[in-house]
This record gives sequence, structure tokens and C-alpha cells, in this order.
Amino acid sequence: MSHLANAVWAARYAFNVLAYCVRCWRGRLGAWLATAAAIGGVLSLAAGAELFLVLSERSLSEQVRAASEFQVFLADTAKAEQVDALKGQIAALPGVRRVTYRSKVEALALARHNSTLAAIADNSSGNPFPASLVVDLSDPSAAEQVTTLVTQDPATDRDVPSSYTPAEGRNLSAFLSMAQAVVVGIALAALAVASLVALVLLRSEIRARKAELRILTLVGTPRPVIRLPVLLEAVALAVAGTVVASLTLTFVGDHVVPAVNTYVPFLQLGSATGAVAAIRAATLGSSVLALGACSLFVRLPR
Amino acid sequence: MKPLPGCANLGTCARRGKGLGHPAPPMPDLMRRVRDTLQMGLGGPTKTDIVGAPGSIQLRNVTAGYGGAPVLSAFDLHINPGEFVYVVGPSGAGKTTLLRVLFGVVRPKTGWVLVDGIAVHRLQGWQTDTIRRRVGCVFQTYELLPHLTSLENVLLPLQLAHARMRNAKACAVEALELVGLNDKLHEFPGTLSGGQQQRVAVARAIAHQPRVLLADEPTGNVDSQSSAEIMELFGQLNEMGSTVVMATHDEFVLSSFTAREVRLQPKLLKVAS
Repeated sequence: MSHLANAVWAARYAFNVLAYCVRCWRGRLGAWLATAAAIGGVLSLAAGAELFLVLSERSLSEQVRAASEFQVFLADTAKAEQVDALKGQIAALPGVRRVTYRSKVEALALARHNSTLAAIADNSSGNPFPASLVVDLSDPSAAEQVTTLVTQDPATDRDVPSSYTPAEGRNLSAFLSMAQAVVVGIALAALAVASLVALVLLRSEIRARKAELRILTLVGTPRPVIRLPVLLEAVALAVAGTVVASLTLTFVGDHVVPAVNTYVPFLQLGSATGAVAAIRAATLGSSVLALGACSLFVRLPR
Repeated sequence: MKPLPGCANLGTCARRGKGLGHPAPPMPDLMRRVRDTLQMGLGGPTKTDIVGAPGSIQLRNVTAGYGGAPVLSAFDLHINPGEFVYVVGPSGAGKTTLLRVLFGVVRPKTGWVLVDGIAVHRLQGWQTDTIRRRVGCVFQTYELLPHLTSLENVLLPLQLAHARMRNAKACAVEALELVGLNDKLHEFPGTLSGGQQQRVAVARAIAHQPRVLLADEPTGNVDSQSSAEIMELFGQLNEMGSTVVMATHDEFVLSSFTAREVRLQPKLLKVAS
């Protein structure tokens, strides 16, 4: 029975606290909406910049990978069964996504469409381009293992066994990792700046409530109960700001990114769907954490 | 203004011991010993040492201020339970500081402050709600929440700070009726006169039937008739057993309602009966 009474009391107390929160908002709805809109604007800017950064990095990585196609050149004397065996060995290596055979004829045809190789293709009497195995690497650093494997294989060209050396593979891998790190760093910085601006806005909001917090302490309200409305307000501001940022992100993802893909063909940003969802979650998480934590550090008067 | 005994709910709350100004339930011996051991280790009196005089106020060798030169220096004071005391003196003498010390707003640098069984000088910032739930205080600047109505201003502390109190709304309404504001329950402070705001502050201070009532210039912003009504109300609370400490320099109050005076002078304090 006493448990029931305690539960009823707790429910009634929670209701009273929430009712107080509503009364607080009732008197300051205009100011709250203005702060939420300002935080939403800041988060929108940060999230939009972040979206373009992520898409640009993804596009750059794809273009670099495409331009750095990894090929294992085959000796003209290589037999079909040797080539098949080598293809199987390469495909079994970690970091290798797919291996496809490219004949001498296909290599010549491709060279004729390549601005660098077209002159060689046109001016040679025979076909100077070797057959090759085109290796699709999920990780450029796997090129080293592939090169080590193929160097001693009788099916490969002894002079130039692969399109780039292990050192070049490592450099490529390092470049892509650095590009990703730079993008992540800039994205985090954008979020940090947005959170900082949001914190400043929250601080001014709390300053406006300084007198109220003082009065609540003077009438003997327990401090956790005083902090609860402040925490709820901070979280509500973060959520409201994220909703505004999400709407902006959706608009940018649905309209601006396809427009960029159409009008700036060399900058293929691709689909923004996955990135929008990830950035939305990151924005919500970071803003709720930053503003919620800040509200807990508000110093109450003695 | 209605006479105080007419407040049925306030009386009921007092009889049931629901207000926090009443004796706490007995504490298990082991728990009391552990608590006392911890407090004795820090020096000074424990709560157990002083529960013998509920409603009393004791200050011994109290020095307090705001960072610079102390406003109160080596100050001693003893107020018996149920006593009515004026704190008088010129501006800057430390009347408000003394009440702030009693209410836990200012922590003394030295000395003891015991109010209604609570060692206020020991309270950390996060513990000050302990004394504020037991003591009623009327502030010079009213300290009303502008976005709450009169009723909500009185009701809020009962709901949030005196969470176990039953009939909180009825007690708040009757406290407001006692101060003659039964027709202003749903008015916001901004629409009330200074005197009416002061009465709301008085209603908030008495709604939980405190054993000790502190008041900082409660008649400072009201006309003589309102002053008389407020003083009559404090007098009734005092007759019911509440200890009342009132800072004032209102000559009308001092001449009309005689009581013991504690006279303060800047940096030179003395107690006059």
C-alpha cells in the first residue's frame, strides 16, 4: 500500500514539475522560439557544410581510385590456365574486391580513348599494350600484397608486373586516409563551432532566467528540481534546432545536390540519402549532448 | 483581512504535521550515531545538540559579509522560540545581511548559526533548501515569479519544495485570503501594486506554517493601513507560536507594535532589548 502511495506521490510530483516547466514556457514562448530558430539556423549551416564536405570527399575518393586503376600486366607468353590460376590467387587476397581479365584488344581500344596513350596506340605498328588482370581494391594498401604475389609469377610481365609499385600504393592509401581525416576534422570543427554558438545562445537564455532560478532556490526548491526545467529546455532547444537543420538537410539533399550533379558534371557528388541520415543523427546527438551538458553546469545561487 | 484561526487547511496541515516546520520523524539510533560522529569530527555543534529548542535562533561569534570588510563581526544573538524580534538600524548596518545569514543565503566566515534545529553555518550550497523548507521568509524585493499568477507563486513552493504536503492548493488559497487577496488569485505580479505584491510574498512565506518567520522590510512598500494589517498577521502567527524576526526601519511599525529590538550599527554591533 505504501508503495502505491509513493508511486502516486511520485507521479503527482512529476506532474507538478512538468506543469511548472509548461508555465515557464508559457511566459517566454516568443523568446524560446527565437532562440530555437537561431540554434536551428546555426545547426543548418553546419550540417549543410558537413553534407557537402562528406559528399565531396566521397566523390574525390572514387575519382582517385578510378584514376589509379590497379592492373597486373600479363606476359605475352602467359597461358590461359596460368592466368586463371593467378586470377584465383589474387582474388583470394584480403582487400581485393574483384579481378577481371582485360585482353590486348580491349587494352588497345581503351588506350585510343585515353588522351595520354592515344598517340602511342595510333603510331605503333602492332599492339604494344599487354593483356592484364584489372584488380578492384577495396583498400589501396592491399596493392603491396598483390604486387608481392605477382612479381615472381611466370604469367606476369617480368619488367613491369603491375601498374604501380607498393610504395605508390601506400602513398595512394595515405592520401585517401588523409583526405578522409581532413573531412572528418572539418566536419567535427563545424559541429563544434555550431555547438559553441548554440551554447552561447543557451547561456543568454539561461541568463534571462537568472532571477527565476534565484527565486526557486530562495523558496527551498531542491536543486535537481530547479535544474530539470533548464535541462528540458536545453534538450528541447537542441531537438528543435535539429528539426530545422534536418529540414534544411533534406532540402539540400533532394534539390541542391542533384542540381550540382547536373550543372557541374566534373563534381559528381552522387546520392545524398545515406549521408543526410548520418549527419542528421550526428547533429541531434552532438547538440543534445552539448546543450544538455551545458545546462547541467549552470551555477545556481546559494 | 481574515483572522488567522479561520484558516482551516493551514490548521489541519499543522495538526497533521505535514508542514516541514514540524518535528521530523524519529531517526534510528544507529543512523543518528553515524551522523553525529561525522558532524562531531568536523567540530562545532551537531544537529542533535540543538534540537532541544525548536523555533529558536542562536548566533555565536558570527562574522559575515560579501568579500570585503565583514558586515557582521563577532556577532552574538539568542532568540527564544515564539519570540517576536525587530532588527533595526541604519542602512548598511547589516539588517539584510543578518537575515541572509539566518536564511542560508550568506555563509558566515566564522561562528555558529542555529535556526530551528538546523546548523545553518554548516550547510553547503546544495543543502540550503533544508533551512528554506522549514523557515518562511519575506524578501524586501518580493522575489515573485513574474510569469506565474499570485496563486501559482504561493502554490509553487508547496508543490516543489513541500512535496508531501496535502491540500497544497487549498493552503495556498487560504494563505492568500488571509492577506486579503482572495480576489487577486489569478492576477500576475505585474498587474498588482507594490503592497499587493508584498502581501503575495507574505502569503508565500506563511503558507507552509513555518515555525520561524523572517521578514526583510515587509512594510517598506505598503501604506499605513496595509502595514497595520501585515503586522497584525505577523502578530497572529507569533501568537500561534511562530518565532518572528523582522528587519525594519518603519517608525510606525516600531511605535505601534512593541517588541524586543536588536539594534545594529555599521561595523559596531550591539544588542538592545
